[in-house]
Amino acid sequence: MIEIIPAIDIIDGKCVRLTRGDFTSAIEYNSDPVRVAREFEAAGFKRLHLVDLDGARKGSIINLDILEEICSSTGLIIDFGGGVKTDTDVERVFNAGAAMVTGGSVAQKNPDVFLGWLNKYGQGKIILGADVKDGNIAVGGWLETSSTGLFDFLDYYVEKGIKKVICTDIQSDGTLEGPSVKLYKDILDRYPGLELIASGGLGSLYDLRELNNAGIKSIISGKAFYESRIPLNPYPLETLARRIIPCLDVKDGRVVKGVKFIRLRDAGDPVELAKRYSDEGADELVFLDITATHEKRKTLSELVRKVAEAVNIPFTVGGGISSIEDVNAMLANGADKVSVNSAAVRNPAIINSMADKFGSQCIVLAVDARLENGAWKVYLNGGRLPTGIDLFEWIREGVDRGAGEVLFTSMNHDGTRNGFANDALAHIGEMVDVPVIASGGAGKLSHFKDAFKKGKADAALAAGLFHYGEMSIADVKNYLAQNGIIVRT
Amino acid sequence: MNIAIIDFGAGNLFSVANACKNLGYNPVLTADEKIISRSDKVIFPGVGNAISAMKRIRQKGLDKVIPSLEQPVLGICLGMQLMLEASDEGNTVCLGILKGRVTDFRRRNTGNIKVPHMGWNIIDNLEGRLLKSIYEGTSMYFVHSYYVPDNEYTVANSYYNGIFTAAIEKNNFFGCQFHPEKSGEAGIKILNNFLKL
Repeated sequence: MIEIIPAIDIIDGKCVRLTRGDFTSAIEYNSDPVRVAREFEAAGFKRLHLVDLDGARKGSIINLDILEEICSSTGLIIDFGGGVKTDTDVERVFNAGAAMVTGGSVAQKNPDVFLGWLNKYGQGKIILGADVKDGNIAVGGWLETSSTGLFDFLDYYVEKGIKKVICTDIQSDGTLEGPSVKLYKDILDRYPGLELIASGGLGSLYDLRELNNAGIKSIISGKAFYESRIPLNPYPLETLARRIIPCLDVKDGRVVKGVKFIRLRDAGDPVELAKRYSDEGADELVFLDITATHEKRKTLSELVRKVAEAVNIPFTVGGGISSIEDVNAMLANGADKVSVNSAAVRNPAIINSMADKFGSQCIVLAVDARLENGAWKVYLNGGRLPTGIDLFEWIREGVDRGAGEVLFTSMNHDGTRNGFANDALAHIGEMVDVPVIASGGAGKLSHFKDAFKKGKADAALAAGLFHYGEMSIADVKNYLAQNGIIVRT
Repeated sequence: MNIAIIDFGAGNLFSVANACKNLGYNPVLTADEKIISRSDKVIFPGVGNAISAMKRIRQKGLDKVIPSLEQPVLGICLGMQLMLEASDEGNTVCLGILKGRVTDFRRRNTGNIKVPHMGWNIIDNLEGRLLKSIYEGTSMYFVHSYYVPDNEYTVANSYYNGIFTAAIEKNNFFGCQFHPEKSGEAGIKILNNFLKL
């Protein structure tokens, strides 16, 4: 996963950002670099790229006191650059507490001095700064462009043992218009073992994903943070997949609701169907048992056990779960979660007892609701019994009592194939901080995308659509991936 | 080979046991100190919360036994978390096999996130014996509200509004935050790597 290294550039003791290295373009973002460094540390960053722009321009270190102060008041691992020219300079920077020194101009103008540092301090502590403009190395605070080509420069130093390189693309630096992914990819292709730190142009999470896909491990960001273009987080890329969950309705140990799969020996066998969905890439399964007998717990436990023996993905069991004993029987036989519905409405305290005993993570609050005269109302008994209870109030209470996930089925949408209840979903998603599963209404590929993008759902559930073979789990996931939604493939 | 799955109370131990069986082993679920100590491999799953789990572990005297084990031990989910010194969850003192403190995801001060971290997430920066021949970026199934921060024994990372430890390895102690028994074929491979140590 690509890591972001925050940058602080200093002019006259203040944090600034330039555009394409132009000193007249400097924007001051904060007058207190030490405080900014502390904020980066508090947000979880471990690294800091500190640049003395005054030093770079004047050719000698100016802002060493700021380095000292940041080192003494944070635990950040800092690389320092800008105006580091002599052996004494390097010693002063390390004495001030920097973990690494970045040398750019000096490496271009005085290779012997720079190689001396590399030999003395080692490849872990000396970073080569390769600042590139029109394919050539720029120096002196980028006020001059040398005649040395980037790859000649890198060839030379990689051969001498350089391991860490910060490469700044000056044309894109400070523009927020996107980094030169191709440039960095070319560098990595040429020097596979190099620890390349990209720099310049980062303006969005999209850019970050492009860099990550190209195999770039770290990038420096300044302006993108200062202008809140990306979250203040060293690893802001989202990697948790949105889940696709087939739902199986079960009665007396058999799947009901027509299943028209071909190639299944027995379309009504829940175990066989579970295995098929698991093999096809389902992220989770939900079993809803609609059996109404006294022997229910026993038959359901047996089913759970058979499913757990056959698949190695998580699954939830629901339908009439009403006691601690029920939950215990399901979990002991291999279920990962149980969903509670009517029993929780009739006796809300059961949610607390279940969550206390087994943990919130295995208690799913299942809610069926209908939109009536502009208000969402909760229904029980598979949607047959109105309660008059407000959907949102009930979900809030259920989560407060310890439910670790919400499975919301809109009765207005269920079976219509017209899409999920995205407005209500989005409202639930904003209201609670546990994952939400969208249910009811899936008919087209775009409905899944809308459930995640508009409905802000964490998972989407469908039954008939998958059972009838109208689309496969893979179809849904491929479509979502093409539309920029993270899925497990 | 004798495999002990430590059973100290509620939770889904069935799936872990079943995965071992599918790999050709016959594990026992037990809280018996002698059986655990004599086993070739010990699996230490944990479901539920750190407070009640540590309470039960102490009641059964396992708080002394587990850290002194010399055969390979695999902590899964809460089992891995309990290997640290302490947990934010109920401010609980844990087994102290590894330095550090298990931290509440809600304490991360950057943005709003759903807790628990539930579902399939990638693991990367893979090292060590447990994750042998697993591909970088493979997805695993996670369900947890607390996390082990990145540390010197981390052998896999994952990301949820920041970096955290997905797996650890310290001498004979191994751990994974995800559920290998619920993570498809790749998860089973990790269990197999452990059982083959």
